[in-house]
Amino acid sequence: MANPAAMQDKEQTRQLDRWLRSQAKTVKRPLNTAVMLGSVNGFLLIAQCWMLAQVLNATAIGHQPITTVWGYLAGMIGLFLLRAGVNYGSQRFTFEAGARLRTELRARLFDHIHTLGPAWSRNQRSGARATEVVDGVEALDKYFSLYLPQMQLAIIIPAAILIFVFPFDWISGLVLAITAPLLPVFMIIIGNQTEKLNRAQWRSLSRMGAHFFDMIEGLTTLKLFNAAQREARFIGQIAEDYRLQTMKVLRVAFLSSMVLEFLAAISIAMVAVYVGFRLMYGDIHYLNGIFVLLLAPEFYLPLRSMGTQFHARMDALGAVEPIIELLNTEPSTQPTGAIELQLEHAPQITFSHLDFAYPNRDAVIRGLNLDLPAGTHTALIGASGAGKSTVGQLLLGFLTPTDGEILINDTPLSKISPHSWHKRVAWLPQNPTLFHGTIEDNIALNRRSNGHADALHQAAQNAHALDFINRLPNGFQTIVGDRGQGLSGGEIQRIALARAFYKDAPVVLLDEPSASLDPESERLITDAIARLSSGRTMLTIAHRLTTIERSDQIVVLDGGKIIEQGTHEALLHANGAYAERYRQYRSAGL
Amino acid sequence: MSRKQNHSPKQNELRWLYEISRPYLGWMLAGVLLASTVILANVALLSVSGWFITAMAISGLTGAVINYFTPAAAIRGLAILRTVGRYLERLITHEATFRLLAGLRQWFFERLEPLAPARLQYYQGGDLLSRIRADIDSLENAYLRIVTPTLAALLSTVLMILFLLWWSPAIALTNLIGLMIVGLILPWLALHLGMNSGKQIVEARAALRQRTSETVRGLAEITLYGDPQQRMDTIHEENSALILPQRQQNRIDAGSTALTGLFSQLTWLSMIVIAIGLVQSGMLNGPELVMLAFFGMASFEAVAALPIAFRALGETRSAARRILDLVDAEPAVIEPINPAAAPQHFDIRFDGVCLTYPGNKQPALSDVTFHLKQGQKLAIRGASGSGKSSLTQLLLKFWAPDSGQITIGDTNLNDLSGDTVRALCAVVSQQVHLFNTTLAANLYLAKPDATEEELLNACRAAAILDDILALPDGFETEVGEAAARLSGGQIRRIGIARALLKDAPIVILDEPTEGLDAATEREVTHALERLLSGRTALIITHRPHLLTLADQIILMDAGRVSDTRRNTDVINI
Repeated sequence: MANPAAMQDKEQTRQLDRWLRSQAKTVKRPLNTAVMLGSVNGFLLIAQCWMLAQVLNATAIGHQPITTVWGYLAGMIGLFLLRAGVNYGSQRFTFEAGARLRTELRARLFDHIHTLGPAWSRNQRSGARATEVVDGVEALDKYFSLYLPQMQLAIIIPAAILIFVFPFDWISGLVLAITAPLLPVFMIIIGNQTEKLNRAQWRSLSRMGAHFFDMIEGLTTLKLFNAAQREARFIGQIAEDYRLQTMKVLRVAFLSSMVLEFLAAISIAMVAVYVGFRLMYGDIHYLNGIFVLLLAPEFYLPLRSMGTQFHARMDALGAVEPIIELLNTEPSTQPTGAIELQLEHAPQITFSHLDFAYPNRDAVIRGLNLDLPAGTHTALIGASGAGKSTVGQLLLGFLTPTDGEILINDTPLSKISPHSWHKRVAWLPQNPTLFHGTIEDNIALNRRSNGHADALHQAAQNAHALDFINRLPNGFQTIVGDRGQGLSGGEIQRIALARAFYKDAPVVLLDEPSASLDPESERLITDAIARLSSGRTMLTIAHRLTTIERSDQIVVLDGGKIIEQGTHEALLHANGAYAERYRQYRSAGL
Repeated sequence: MSRKQNHSPKQNELRWLYEISRPYLGWMLAGVLLASTVILANVALLSVSGWFITAMAISGLTGAVINYFTPAAAIRGLAILRTVGRYLERLITHEATFRLLAGLRQWFFERLEPLAPARLQYYQGGDLLSRIRADIDSLENAYLRIVTPTLAALLSTVLMILFLLWWSPAIALTNLIGLMIVGLILPWLALHLGMNSGKQIVEARAALRQRTSETVRGLAEITLYGDPQQRMDTIHEENSALILPQRQQNRIDAGSTALTGLFSQLTWLSMIVIAIGLVQSGMLNGPELVMLAFFGMASFEAVAALPIAFRALGETRSAARRILDLVDAEPAVIEPINPAAAPQHFDIRFDGVCLTYPGNKQPALSDVTFHLKQGQKLAIRGASGSGKSSLTQLLLKFWAPDSGQITIGDTNLNDLSGDTVRALCAVVSQQVHLFNTTLAANLYLAKPDATEEELLNACRAAAILDDILALPDGFETEVGEAAARLSGGQIRRIGIARALLKDAPIVILDEPTEGLDAATEREVTHALERLLSGRTALIITHRPHLLTLADQIILMDAGRVSDTRRNTDVINI
């Protein structure tokens, strides 16, 4: 135990266990009911063994005819039916407990993801999060539906059996009572070791999976280098390595259940042999002997199946780690504003002495003062890392300034309820997300209660998207994938534009794609953006000369500060940083 | 691994699973034999124990002499056999499963390879991956949870019934009927009832996974455009859509477990009733009655796992079906049976080439004709969807033209194998896929036997050498998923270095400088100039810089060449 890493690991396991148990509290009632039904089943089983012992005693030893045992036989049939019902009920209750837990946990996870907000999700690997929320939560189920109730039954049922065995044959009772605690002891000793190996295994499994799927994703690249065949062999090789490693772990892991099985089997054998000899010497009555022998396997059954439950627990512990981590992630901002924003027209937006820094890092924005006059179009330019996108994130309210204020018509953004602000901003990101669903649903993410059809049509038209949508096999009802497969980059951009037109918000933030499109798409998009800007206060993180030239004001950002500001002509005339950049762009032919 | 190319559209999933398992049948069989041994050892242990104590009791009562050494030893021996057998069984069945998985992954990759990229473009990246991942995982069930329990049940049932026949046909028949009900009829019912929900579970899980993934990715859009509450409701609904079939499945499981218990108990009780009659008529003695009673009780362990196994069958079959549907697609290109040798000169000629993608009405290319002499460069311009990329897809033999012909040198592309063609071409595109390994490994992909000097030269020419050496681990830097540590321009230049290293006579550039800022674009363009020098090239671009490198420019519009110009015209565009 001197190994600090091992201690830490153990402590962590205990914490995960505690967290899982605390979750189970919310479904106490169905879980307890299931355990109760399981215990009832155990008592019914003892009664059944008793009746069977009576039957065998009467017929095998007493050679009595069947008519003398009809009562017992009928009673047993009754017990069979009762036990079937109880068994069914207990399984249903554990399922409902697990189902409710999974539903609640998923709701909490999604809730938390929403709380964490876009500032968090920007840096996330969405696929990994999806696996946690879906498959991770599924993997927890067995902890609640198998491990927890079974652990309790593994104490209740053997204890009950023991109580009945002792009065009938105390020596057998002793054998059972002595061997029973050995099982958990061995299990813990071996289980600890296995757990460590298991964690390593879990990691190597996910590494192998990542490699396999990386190869599938890059299949086209592999083919271009004629490397696919080579890699195929490699995939087999890696899986082989994994097999060898895993088998090493399993050889030990299965030992734990083997020891348990062995103890159980040898104890039953001991009971049988002991009882047999004492029967021969006439020490005990046959009825007692056969009753004990019938109960002995049932005594070990719940203990034996604990090995299986332990694996369920291990899987759950592996899966719960990232879930807890996600739930424990603190949101970077805590919006507190409550003012409901009233906006009739495009507002004036003022950045006043704005500072922003990520925790424990250098400031990204320093003392930014900027006026976006109502209904005008401002182009924000600067090298990458100058703080352009941070300004955008601050304007959207996804980040909270460390100091200073953003004023919307003199109302501080921090005092405005986020929901009411978000209703009034449209945002065009560089890489818009298309959600799985129809084009209609993708344009109208939040459908208007009236005038939807007209607004949809108009928005698509304004965004120059109508023509290509109509050309699609199902028009607006065409299903697009979550990554917009089937649509070109320009088309996705235009759907995002249609979104903004449909929303008809007075403030627009445009993060212009730096990737240039073919001239035709480019022309259409530039035209649509110009149309979108009219009558709205718009801030563009600009990459295109046409956009920059057309804007009402140009702001050059460098190192989180404004170094130049003015109209295109004024800045050219000033012959400063902008003029230099402009010449650079010109020579690049942008 | 079976390399048989079988493209019948509806290959049976179970047959396929058998085919794929063939190399591991030895392991599987060993697992089945061990599983049967465990079952039989357990039955024997309990039966002998029952017989033993009854015989001992009778000997105690009557004073008859009994040989108790043999049965007492047998009891202990059987206990050990059962335990060790179980341990070995688990090891062997897992061994077989992992071997199967290794084979399966390799098989799958090999089958997927000829389909990429043409046949996979309709599948969403994330969805395809998560589906494949889950499906391949659930195929693990096939052996461990289906094949072993089923075959072991069959084998041990036959042996047990033979044993019982020796004592009493009536008891044997009763036990057989009980085992059939529990082992065949109930599982069949469970399978039948669970088929639907099994399918629904897999689908609902995939849907929920996708919904989660897009929610995380599009959280900003949802916050700004959507109604978060509505989104939560949708996700809640999708969670319910998963719980619902799971509940159905649980009912089936719980019901079949309960009924299995009930029918087993009724069966052994009937066996006891028959045996009591036989004791009365003197055909059996007391110990034998108890032995048969215990035998009957223990016999059902043989079929206990079957209802669950048969249920898993539904899930496994739909996973297998999807995997099969995916790989059973016809490759878009048929490889020549006797491929021609690689051409020695590299004129590229398209003659009346037409291509319509399946399911599309509009042709992607119609009657495209151009001729490019070795060493010349052709620039291709046009709106998105005008057919530019289709030209390169054809030249790389990722697709085959519907009509017309393409030649390299004087060799028809149809006569060349895809591998030969692609060995002649180096591609730099907008999306450079870097694999999740070291930079060196990513570069050596282009030429596994390249010398270090070649590698350094290629990186120098691509203007990426200094950037790489500036990294803390240099060439050994792990790329990290999505190449998180490298800028767009750096990734593009690594792509160029890779192409330079490949040193192919034909270069295909697919908008290689899109999305770069002016300064980076200049650097990348210079690197590209070095790549292009002396090579034949197809360049898709709108960039004036790159256009100036071309000898010929064609403008594509709706799949047709709408204009061909000499390079001197480009200045006036």
